[in-house]
Amino acid sequence: MNAGVETDLKAEAEAFLIAEARLLDAGRFEEWLALFAEDGFYWIPAAPGQGDPLNHLSIFYEDKSVLGMRVRRLGHPRAYSAQPAPRTAHLVGSVTAAPGSEPGIDCETRSSVMVAEYRPGTSPGERRLWAGQQLHRLRRTPEGWRIVLKRVDLVDCDAAHGILAIPI
Amino acid sequence: MPDTIAPESLSRLVEPDRVHRRLYTDPAIFELEMTRIFGRCWLFLAHESQVAAPGDFIRARLGREDVIVTRGRDGRVHGLVNRCTHRGSQICAAERGNAGGFACPYHAWTFGLDGVLNSVPHRQSLPPGFDIKDPRLSLARVPRIESYRGFVFGSLAPEGESLADFLGPMSEVIDNFVDRAPEGKLEQAGGIARQEYRGNWKLHHENANDTLHPGFVHESSVSAARADKRDYAAAAYDGHQTHTQMLSNGFGAREWQGLALTGFPSGHTFMGGFYRGGVLAPDRDDPVWREYRSKLVARHGEEKTQRVLGEDRFNNLVYPNISLNAQYQQIRIVQPLAVDRTRVLALCFRLKGAPEALFHRAVRFLTNLSSPASMILSDDIEIFERVQSGLANPEPEWLDQSRGLGSDREQSDGRKVSAGVSELPQRAQYQAWLRYMTTAA
Repeated sequence: MNAGVETDLKAEAEAFLIAEARLLDAGRFEEWLALFAEDGFYWIPAAPGQGDPLNHLSIFYEDKSVLGMRVRRLGHPRAYSAQPAPRTAHLVGSVTAAPGSEPGIDCETRSSVMVAEYRPGTSPGERRLWAGQQLHRLRRTPEGWRIVLKRVDLVDCDAAHGILAIPI
Repeated sequence: MPDTIAPESLSRLVEPDRVHRRLYTDPAIFELEMTRIFGRCWLFLAHESQVAAPGDFIRARLGREDVIVTRGRDGRVHGLVNRCTHRGSQICAAERGNAGGFACPYHAWTFGLDGVLNSVPHRQSLPPGFDIKDPRLSLARVPRIESYRGFVFGSLAPEGESLADFLGPMSEVIDNFVDRAPEGKLEQAGGIARQEYRGNWKLHHENANDTLHPGFVHESSVSAARADKRDYAAAAYDGHQTHTQMLSNGFGAREWQGLALTGFPSGHTFMGGFYRGGVLAPDRDDPVWREYRSKLVARHGEEKTQRVLGEDRFNNLVYPNISLNAQYQQIRIVQPLAVDRTRVLALCFRLKGAPEALFHRAVRFLTNLSSPASMILSDDIEIFERVQSGLANPEPEWLDQSRGLGSDREQSDGRKVSAGVSELPQRAQYQAWLRYMTTAA
């Protein structure tokens, strides 16, 4: 593979990650959900370097159907923990991308992410910053890239947290 | 000073059908709770599997005390206050691990796993009367530690009732938990979920056996689960557990009314189970469960197995700090941090000898119900915080807990029972609160 192709892949991955982050920041969760492949998973481990989601609890470990329930819940008028809706700003950087290493994965892209979160009505000390490393395993489809796995390793994944009602 | 709150004035804060807002907002009352409730009761410290081998240690919180629970070389479990007896530094920063002892980072006083001071540097500069074996130089110890079938409790009171007397009939929950393991042993595993909320610790307990709130607080997750028309065969990773857990809060008033609520004078309370679907139903039947059940029958025989697996009690609160759900292999530990700040730890267990897939379900249950991103607990916590915010208003002074008041039935052992949709558990908790708080040490 020549350098030009890898540069293109990185640029494509970066554009995808930015578009994904904008959907989250805009609270367009249904469109965000549509970025997942039918066999896709969204995973935020609860231990640093967590090896698997079966033997250790996670903050999130959801396939597309459970994630679909989460998105539907967020649209409910009495989803109290998400009302008023949190506002977020994602910053995605330090992106690298490589071709997929197994069938069904066309690109593995790693990045760092910081998410500032504010819930209207809370006091200044309660504004939050989520930060960590992301791994996206992507599949190329006629409709565009689809997420087979989004994994976010938060720097404070094993700390005590308040409510995290929205996906980040 | 907290101790200047006279019992007479405390006793005016709890009535049979209402409690005063100061119970949730007054820092002086919180301080007194730390002495008279958390300083007196048996509090869950650790499970023996968390300190299985000599040298194993895990941190715990006992009221206001930061405690290191250790397994000594002699196999005994110790509870040591995490504070050097020299200049007061915390001596253990790790949450858990294995060590030969603890060395203070400040001036290297070193303590054994039993808390005894083993060495100090620069002995020649200490006065002749300095005796390294003086017990006052050992790490402060949790005065009493007792274990019940692997569950280790500590009490900050040097004297008082035994753990068995304190647990009373709630020991049945621990018995049931352990009896569910084909090898008769539990192992804590799968990590610890940690949540913190801006509200009083009692809000958690009131909610745990409140059968009227789910239809309102959890409406959004019930509705999201009901609307799901997808074929769940694809979601094999989960055995539909998330769906079932969300849906189960959708009981109607009539169904909740069919559950029994129980409260003891000790403040311990529990309710009947209400998870009815799929892999969480009491009469569940799937390949993993069948394999597990056959192993249990091999241990207990058919009759006892039926009895053990038929026990369906939910949120078994051992007042004031631990809640157990034996049938889903879960416990929750409630740690008051301040009058308006509480930490909740949630843990799950492996039933030794059971199929690993059963442990995976317990891990899934833990994630679903106790992760910061839980679609269920997050709405409860949101409500705790809104209650705490609401109670910042000085008026009105009282919180009502009269639901079902006339229908409590007292049994010969002192327990009160009622059909669901009653505030019986809350009333039992506050009667115990009042008794502890108005009894001076």
